[in-house]
Formats: sequence, C-alpha cells, structure tokens
Amino acid sequence: MADVPGDFGFSDDHEILRDGARRFLEERCPIEEIRRLADDPVGHDPGVWKEMAELGWAGLTIPEAHGGAGLGNLHQALLLEEMGRRLLPSPYLGGALAALAIERAGDAAQQARWLPGIASGDTLASLGWLEPEGSWEPSDVKATARREGDTWVLSGTKAHVPCGADAALVVAPFVADGEIALFAIAGGFQAEAEVSIDPTRRTARLQFDGLAVPDDTRLSGGDLATWRTILLQSAAWLAAEMVGAAEATLGLTRDYAIDRKQFERQIGSFQAVKHPLVDDMIGIELARNHVYGAAAAFDAGETEAAETGARMAKAMASDVLARAVRHGVQFHGGYGFTLDCDMHFYFKRALFCRAMLGDAVHHRRHLAATLFGDTGA
Amino acid sequence: MSQAVEETESREIAEFRAEVRAWLAENRPPKPDFVMPQNFLFVETNEQFEYLRDWQAKVYEAGYLGLDWPAEYGGGGDTLKRQRIVTQETGRAGTPFFVNTIGLQWAGPVILKYGTEEQKKKFLKPILSAEEIWCQGFSEPGAGSDLASVQTRAEPAASGNGWTVNGHKVWTTIGTRAKWMILLARTDPDAGKYPGLSFFLMPMQVPGVEVLPLIKMTGEGGFNQVIFTDAAMPRGAMLGAPGQGWEVAMATLTFERGAAEGTGGGQATSSADTVQRAAKLASQTQRDGRPASEDPLLRDRLVQLWMQEEGLRLGGMRRRVPGLSPDRPMVLALMNKLVYSEYAQNLAELGCEILGPDAALWMGDPNAPADAEWPRAYMNSFGMTIGGGTSEIQRNILGERVLGLPKSK
Repeated sequence: MADVPGDFGFSDDHEILRDGARRFLEERCPIEEIRRLADDPVGHDPGVWKEMAELGWAGLTIPEAHGGAGLGNLHQALLLEEMGRRLLPSPYLGGALAALAIERAGDAAQQARWLPGIASGDTLASLGWLEPEGSWEPSDVKATARREGDTWVLSGTKAHVPCGADAALVVAPFVADGEIALFAIAGGFQAEAEVSIDPTRRTARLQFDGLAVPDDTRLSGGDLATWRTILLQSAAWLAAEMVGAAEATLGLTRDYAIDRKQFERQIGSFQAVKHPLVDDMIGIELARNHVYGAAAAFDAGETEAAETGARMAKAMASDVLARAVRHGVQFHGGYGFTLDCDMHFYFKRALFCRAMLGDAVHHRRHLAATLFGDTGA
Repeated sequence: MSQAVEETESREIAEFRAEVRAWLAENRPPKPDFVMPQNFLFVETNEQFEYLRDWQAKVYEAGYLGLDWPAEYGGGGDTLKRQRIVTQETGRAGTPFFVNTIGLQWAGPVILKYGTEEQKKKFLKPILSAEEIWCQGFSEPGAGSDLASVQTRAEPAASGNGWTVNGHKVWTTIGTRAKWMILLARTDPDAGKYPGLSFFLMPMQVPGVEVLPLIKMTGEGGFNQVIFTDAAMPRGAMLGAPGQGWEVAMATLTFERGAAEGTGGGQATSSADTVQRAAKLASQTQRDGRPASEDPLLRDRLVQLWMQEEGLRLGGMRRRVPGLSPDRPMVLALMNKLVYSEYAQNLAELGCEILGPDAALWMGDPNAPADAEWPRAYMNSFGMTIGGGTSEIQRNILGERVLGLPKSK
C-alpha cells in the first residue's frame, strides 16, 4: 500500500490549527468543567460551541463555497485528537459526521441548503449511525422509506445518535425501494434521550413513525457504497478522538506513577507498572500512525487504501484506549475506582467509543477478508 | 516548497527509483545452490561469505551504497533520500543483504561522527566496498543488559606505543571474518563505571586475539567469543577521547537500533518475512482438511500482525515529519527496534503454527517446508529481541527516557 504521501500532506497550517486547539481547549475545558457538564441537562456549553463555530471548527471540512473552512482529513484528525484529549463535551462530532455525509452524498443544491447552517454552528446536526439491533454493517438497515405521492414516509428507529435530542438535522439511512438511501431530516421525529454510559457524550433514540418528508430530503448520491465509505471515514475520525483520549489517559497514569510512593519507592519505578505503560504508549503511537495514514489517504483521494487504514485505525484505537483506561484505573489503585478520580471519565469514554462505528473484532474480520482477498471466513 | 520545485523533485526521485530498479533487475546475483543465511548475523560458510561480499562490492561499485557519505571518504556525497530509495528497492527486489552490516550501520556512522580525519580516510571506503569486514566487541559474559559493567581492559602498552588488550567478548557476529572490531573497553578502573570506558577501533588479525565460534540453537554458527590475551592495539586506535567510551557506545546503539539516520544504506536481511508471505503460506497449507487461510482465529492473528507491520511502515514515514510528533520527538525512533523485533518474532512463530504438523520437521528433512525456514526464523528471531539491548531493556529505556518514569533499581 504505497499510497500515502511521504509527508502525510502535513504543513504549517496543520500545526497552527493543532496548537490553537490545544490552547483553546485547555482553557475552556478543564476537568472541573467536565464535572460540571456531566450533571448539566444540556451536557455541553453553548457559549463554547459558539466560540468554536467562530473559530471555523463547525465547518472545518465543509467547502468554503458553503461557508466552511475547506480543510482536510488530517486537519480533522488533529483537531479531534485535541478534543479527545480534553474529553470535550460538544455537539461537534455529530455535526462533522452529518456534514461529511451531506458532502459525500448530497447534490449541489442539497449541499447549498444544509452545509452553511452546519458550518455557522446554527444548525445542530447529527448522524443516525445505528439502529437498536446494533449492527455496524452499513447494509443492516431496517428503517424504511415508502414513497407516497411526492413525499417519502419514514418509519423506524435510530439509536445512540450523538446529541440526538438537540439535533435539528439528522442524516440517516432508510431502505427505499429495496435499496439503502440517505435522508437529511430536519426535525419531525421523536427524540428520547438515552442514559449514555459516557457522561461527556449525550445520545438519543430517534423514532420515525410514518414521518412524511419531501422528496428532496433524499440525498441524491446516498447509496450503500457511499454510506459504507461515510461510516469508515467516520470511524477514522472517531479513532483520532480516541487516540487523544488514550494519550490523556496515559499522561494521568504516568503522573500518578511518579507521584505515588509505596514501599518507599515511586510506583513508576516498578517494571510491573512501567512496562505496561510503555506498551500503551507504543500502542498509541502505532494507532496514531494509522489515524494519520488514513487521513492522508482520504486527503489524497486513495479511497481503498484509506478505508483499510480507517479500519486499522479504529481497530487499534479501540484496543489501545481500552487497555490504557484499564491500566489507568488499576494503577491508580483504590482511588482509581472512585468517582473522585478523573479516570472514570476516560474509562467511560473508552467504552462508548469502542461500541460505535465498529469495534476491533469487527474491523479485523473485514481486514482479514482484504488480506486474503476473499469474502471472509 | 513551491509546487514546481516539488514536481521537479518528485520526478527526479521517480527517475532514480526506476534506474535503481532496472539495475537490480539486470544485476541481481543468481540464486545460489547452497543454503543462505537469513540475515547478516548468521553467515557461516566461505561460499556464503564470498557470495555476499561480491554482491556488496558490486552494489558499491555501481554507486548505490554510502550515497549519503561524503565523497572524500568513498561515499556518494549525495542525499539520504536517495540512499533510502536504494534500500527500499533492494528490499522490494529481495536481493541479498549486505554482509558488512556492522561496518555500514554501526562502525561507519560513529567513525563519521567521532573519527579523526585520518580515521575517516582509512576506514570508511573499505567498509562500503566490503574489503574490510567489521565486528562489534561490546557484550561480555558478565556484561549483557548491564553493558557498562564491561571488564575488558585496554592499558597503555609497556613499549609506550599503543595499547595492550585483555578480556573476553561474546556474541561477536562475523568475528572470524572481521578485520576490525569496534571495541568498548575499560581504560581507567578507578574512574567509575561509565567514565572508565573508552572506545577503540581494534585490529582483529593480530597475535593475542582468539576467535571461538558459538553454536546457536539452530545449529548454525555466526556468533563467536573473542578472547584477548595481551593483544596489541596501535596508537591512534581510540575513537573519541579517553573516557568517552560510553557516549560513543550509546551513539553506536542508536544507529544499531535504527534510531538514527545516516547508516550508509543497507538492508541487513534478505528474507521479506512479511504478513503477505505468511498469508500466502496459509492459503497453500491444509489445516484439518481445509486451507489454513479459512481458520478465523489464524486470520485474526495474522491481521493483528498486519496492523503492526503497516503501523511500522507508516511510523517510518511519520518519523520524517517532526510536526507530527511534537510531544515525543524521539519515540518513533526509540520504539522501532522493540516493536519490529517482537513483530518479526510473532510472525515467525505464527508461520510455524500455520505449518501445522510439518512445523515438526527440521532442516535437512526432504519434507520440511522450505527447509524449515519458519522454525528457523523463529529461533533466529531471538537474536533481535535479545541482541542490541533486550526487549526488557528497551522498555526501561522507553519508560525512563520517553515517558519520564523513575529508574528501575
């Protein structure tokens, strides 16, 4: 797979974005803020969201013609990594994924209609990535769209939709005339907040009970292949966020291993603590290689390589973050398993992210089929 | 860089790559009718050695080795980028490895870094041409992972000219063929563990140097022990200053572990033990009456190694983009040896498992698949996880130097 540019397409403006994001998020999203928002009914700070929109983040990858910043996947990966590091509670991810779907599947008129609102931060948007049966396969869609006159009638349920209770626009797949079709739905559905395992990430279950929507809400290029690519690109983006969270987890555990003394020694001097942390660091770096590799391949238009890279990124990030938080709780000892210790936020984020967009086993099963050039065993 | 400059450069690179590729296709040596060692650590017979030495000389004469070393010392005075292309292409072509690996990748770079003008003029060109083979004298029976406890002594010669060496080195790869050794020895026993060490360029073919082969678990040779008994080392043999030995040795290990650039080029192994190869093996091997490639558990393990292999490849690229590792600038370089050696070991072991019952056949049995190359590779892989600093030491180094954890006592 010799298909990623040697320098990953990295340039000064990537660096500027990352450094700016790190400073901004350090200031706006300290751990006290996470604790406050965990008990907040909305779950994120609308003032911070407004600032993020003003910084151009809400439309980071949206073309400039539609009010966005027109940046690429590597920008997105670096920004999400910083957000993951701070566990930023935000409608950002859902909006980014909805915009991605509209860019990939919508025609010019549809893009012009919805993208500017997402880019300005005025439209809270999200992606209906799952249904209650919990299949990560893009083809497993049970919700239906039935044509009635010049409208479509949508029926079915979407689960675990990020910020679904607040979203004014949701992109989701429905089966229309026996084929997968993507719709951009501006309200009219019933949203019931779920009790998310991750207090920094609100989700909702959306119910479509024969909701009639106009014909032009069906994204003209939203077939199964496109939906599959959207989900894999989303997985690559989520993996970037997970690498950031794993990095922060490792940092907390490292600091504790330096501070904490037992048997008159810093516990980080024990190889039983040191070596697992080194393995976590190595895993994070390898996962990061895949995250940047997939991003660079998407930016270069090498879709096949990018999709393999996305699977590797999400598979590795899922395992690495899970391992890092496990060590995080364990090495913090009795304190690590209290609600006072910050580690539980990362632990819960790890469980959430692993469960979305395919876990490690799911992606490795697909990768095996790629490796062997068959349809899977 | 402007787009025009970038395009010109990438065109030049593509042309150079095509040139190297064509040269390799034209000039690759015929497959020998004897068993070849799997990498430079395991050269044993004269015919293996001569075959490999001829190949390195030929590549050097064609101008594809030492491209980035200065021209006045026999190098090409060219860019590291072009040397890397040669290394990529030799790996891709699966041509034999370069037998003078210790010269190219360890001794040469430290001589370039610490050597006097005289030393550079004398030693570098014969390293590239493989006229003079180099070995390494670091480990001792009592100094393995704790390298700084070496006891081999270098004392000023009674004649007042040069040094006298006494001691015992082990794991001396290619010691029987070497003309020179990079030697870590104690010059001042009262100066403390680290400052008491100095670094030398020691002649091997002199009285008082005895090279005794060690036999590895595969039954193959390649490693040796070296006994020094009042061996004479000339004046001017020291590299760097008295007491600077530990620093030079650490710089050597940085090159050895692939953590520093500028190693003269060179692929140190001929076998491309890639996941693709293991996947092919699985497709061609029956397991309980079906192709092993249909076993979901084997598939998953192979995919995990593929992710490592691909992660290492991408990491090699990312290392050259400092802006993509701002928080831990050295981590990719320092973790490379550990991750690669464990990946290679796991892959070789998985290859044995894919073979199933036939993994029980050893070299020489007519039914042993590919003369037992997978079990042999698995056994040999411990050379990489132990040599050059064990995996356990690598984890300490990463934990302490990169993560900043306190030292293990």
